Amino acid sequence: MNEIPSSVLVIDDEVQIRRFLRTGFELDGFTVQEAETGAEALRTVTLQPSDLVILDLNLPDMDGADVLERLRAWSTVPLIVLSVRANEAEKVRLLELGADDYVVKPFGMAELLARAHSAMRRQLRAARGEPMVKFGPLAIDFAARAVFINDQRVALTPKEYRLLQVLAQHSGNVVTHQFLLREVWGNEHLDDTHYLRIFVRKLRRKIEADPTQPRILLTELGVGYRLVMSDPPAAVAIGSPDAPAATGSA
Amino acid sequence: MLGRRLSLRLDPRLAGLWRQLRGVAISLLLVALTTVVALLLRHYIGILRGAVLYLVPVMIAGYQFGVVPALVSAVAGVILSGYVYFAQLYTFKVASPQEALNLVLYMVVAVFVSHLANQAKRHTTIARKREQEMSDLYAFSRRLAAAPSAAEIFVAIQNHLAHLVQRKVLLLGAADDGSADGVPEQLRAEVGQVERDEGRERITADDSGNIWLIRRVSPKTPDFGVVAVDLGRVSGEALAEMRQRIDDALADAAATLERLDVARALNEAKMRSETELLREALIGSVSHELRTPLASILGAATILSNAPALAADERLHALTGVVRDEAERLNNDIQNLLDATTISRQQVRPKLQWIEPVDIVNAAVEHRRRRLAGHPVTLELDSNLPIVRADPVQVEQALMQILDNAAKYSADGAPIRVTAEPNGQSVVLSVHDCGAGLSGEEKRQVGGRFFRGPRHAATTSGSGLGLWIAKAFISANGGKVEVESEGIGRGATVSIHLPLSGETAPLETTVDE
Repeated sequence: MNEIPSSVLVIDDEVQIRRFLRTGFELDGFTVQEAETGAEALRTVTLQPSDLVILDLNLPDMDGADVLERLRAWSTVPLIVLSVRANEAEKVRLLELGADDYVVKPFGMAELLARAHSAMRRQLRAARGEPMVKFGPLAIDFAARAVFINDQRVALTPKEYRLLQVLAQHSGNVVTHQFLLREVWGNEHLDDTHYLRIFVRKLRRKIEADPTQPRILLTELGVGYRLVMSDPPAAVAIGSPDAPAATGSA
Repeated sequence: MLGRRLSLRLDPRLAGLWRQLRGVAISLLLVALTTVVALLLRHYIGILRGAVLYLVPVMIAGYQFGVVPALVSAVAGVILSGYVYFAQLYTFKVASPQEALNLVLYMVVAVFVSHLANQAKRHTTIARKREQEMSDLYAFSRRLAAAPSAAEIFVAIQNHLAHLVQRKVLLLGAADDGSADGVPEQLRAEVGQVERDEGRERITADDSGNIWLIRRVSPKTPDFGVVAVDLGRVSGEALAEMRQRIDDALADAAATLERLDVARALNEAKMRSETELLREALIGSVSHELRTPLASILGAATILSNAPALAADERLHALTGVVRDEAERLNNDIQNLLDATTISRQQVRPKLQWIEPVDIVNAAVEHRRRRLAGHPVTLELDSNLPIVRADPVQVEQALMQILDNAAKYSADGAPIRVTAEPNGQSVVLSVHDCGAGLSGEEKRQVGGRFFRGPRHAATTSGSGLGLWIAKAFISANGGKVEVESEGIGRGATVSIHLPLSGETAPLETTVDE
C-alpha cells in the first residue's frame, strides 16, 4: 500500500500479543516498534515518531488513558486502542480523548488493519484536503455540498448533510454519539441521542439500498457510528476468507 | 420515678406483714397442739418432765416461718410448759428457782434453735435457687458463646428470659425482623421511647392488667435492641425480684454481646471483604489471564489463515479456521461465565439509551456470523420501528445467546429467521428456527440456570447458561423473553419483548433545522 514503509508503535505488556501484532503488521508492510510500558512508549514516540500507534489499555505502569492524553498533548498520530468487551463507557471516553478507533480483544488482524488504515487515511486526507470522497455507491462532494448515490444526486436536509459530512471526515473510524451531537446540533444537545437515531434512520433511507441492512452507515452499539469505505463483511473477511457471510441481506 | 419506687416498696411490706401474721398464727396453733399432746401424754402415760416437747413447734416455726413466729411460739411454749409441767400444776406460777432456771434455759435454747432452723432453711433455699440460676446461666452463656451470629444470641436471650419469667418475652429492633408484633398497641409508644433513650426502662400495664417491663438489652447502647417482657399480674416483692433477675441475665447477655458482637462483626466484615476481594481477583484474572492468551491465539490464527503458504493447502488452511472457531467459542464461554457472575451478584445495571432496534439485530447477527455460518439466515426487520430505551450491549448479548441456541439446536443447513416488529406497547425481536423444538416440559424449564434438555446432553455441548443470561439481561431492561415451540422436532421461536418507553421521542420535524 505504501511506497515508504509506514511505522507502527505497538504498546502492550503481553509479549505474545506483541509478537502476533508484529507479524501481522510486518506482513502488511509496516516496520514495527514495540513498547512494554507507558513510560517506554512515551519515550519511544518522542525520539522516533511513528505513523501509527496501537495502545493496549492494560499497562503495568500507567493507565492507558493517561498515555493517550499525554501523547495527544502534542501529537496527532493515528491511534487505535485495544479494549476489552463490555466497557462502552470507557471506549467512548478514550475516543473523546482522541483515540481514532478501537478494537475489542480478541480481534482478527484484518479488523485491526482496516481500522488502522482508515485512521491513517483520515490524517492523509485532512492534510491534502480532498474535495470528494466515495464510499461504494456513495459519493460526497464537499465543495458543492452534494451527495450522490450511484451518480444520482440525493437531496439531504442541512442537518442530514452535516451528519454525513462529520462521519465522512472520519470515514472508516467510529465517531461517538457525543461528537456527532456536538458537531451537528451543538453542545446543548449532547444527551439527545434520540435525535441521532431518527436522523440516522432518515439518512439510511436515502443512502442505503436496504435501510434495515446498512452497508455504509454502520452502528457501533453503545458508542457511535461508522461510515465504511467498502462493504464491512468484505473488510472483515480479509482475515477469514473461509467464513461465509450471513445471508439475508436482500 | 420516685412514685414508682414507693409503690414498689409498699407492696412487698404488706405482703411480708401478712406472711408474718400467718406464721405467728400457725406457730401458736402448733404450740396449742403440743400442749394437747403434752397433756395427753401426762394423763395416759404419766410423763411428768416433757417441757422439751415445746422445742418442736419452735423449730418448725423457725424453719418454716422465720424468727418472729419462732420467738412467739417460744414464749408461748415457756408459759404453757410452766403451766403443764412445773410445780403447782395447771397454774402459771413457778415454784422453785430450779424450775425458773429450767424455764429460762428452755427459753434460750428455743431462741437459739429457732434461729438455727431459720438459718438452715434460708441457706437451703438460697443454695437451691443459686444452683438453678447457675445452671440456667451456664446453659445461657454456653448458648451465647456457641451462637454463630448476633441473631442466635438474640434468640438465646429471648428464650432465657422467657424461661426466667415464664411469660412472653419480645426482643425488638435488634434482630433483623425487629417487628413489634405481639406488643400490645398501647405499649408501642413506650417501646419507641426506650429505643430512643428517653428513660432507660419502663414498667407499664397493658389493657388486661399485665405488667410489662420495657428496657434496652444493654443500657449502654441501643444497638442490641429493646426487650419487652410480659411479667403477668405481679406486684411487690415478686416484681422487684423478677426485675433483678432480668437485670442479671441481661447484664450477662449484654456483656457477651459487647464482647462477641464486636469481635464477630469485625470478623464477618473481614471475611466478607476477603471473599469479595478473592472473587474480584478471580473474575479479573479469568478475564485477563484467560483472555489475553486467547487474544494472541485468535490474532495469530487470523494471520495464519491469510498466509499464502497455508492458503495453498486446503487442509492446513481449514485448521487455522478450527483454531479460530474454538478460540472464539472459548472466549464466548468465558464471557458467559462473567455475565453469569454479574447476574448472580445482581450487578446488572443497564445503561439506558435510545436505541434503534434494527441496529441490535444487525450487530448480534454480525457478531454471530461465524456461528450461524451453517444456516441460511433471513432477516425481516421493520424499517419503521419505534426507537426503544434499553442497554444496547445487554440486549445484543441476549439476542446473541438466542441466536447461538438456534444454531446449536438446528440441523446444518436448517434456516433461521430473525424478525423485528412492533407489537402493541413493545418491540419484539424474534429468532425462529426449524430445529429440535421443545416439549411442554422442556418449555417450562428452559431458561432456568444450567437447565439443558436431557435429550441434548450427549449430543450438543453447552453450559445451560445461555437463555438464563438472556432472560436476566432482558428483564433488567424491563422486557421479557418468551419461548414458543409446537413440540419436539418442530422448531422454536424465542422472542425478546422490549417495552416502549413512556417518554416519547420528539417529532422528527422539530429537530431538523
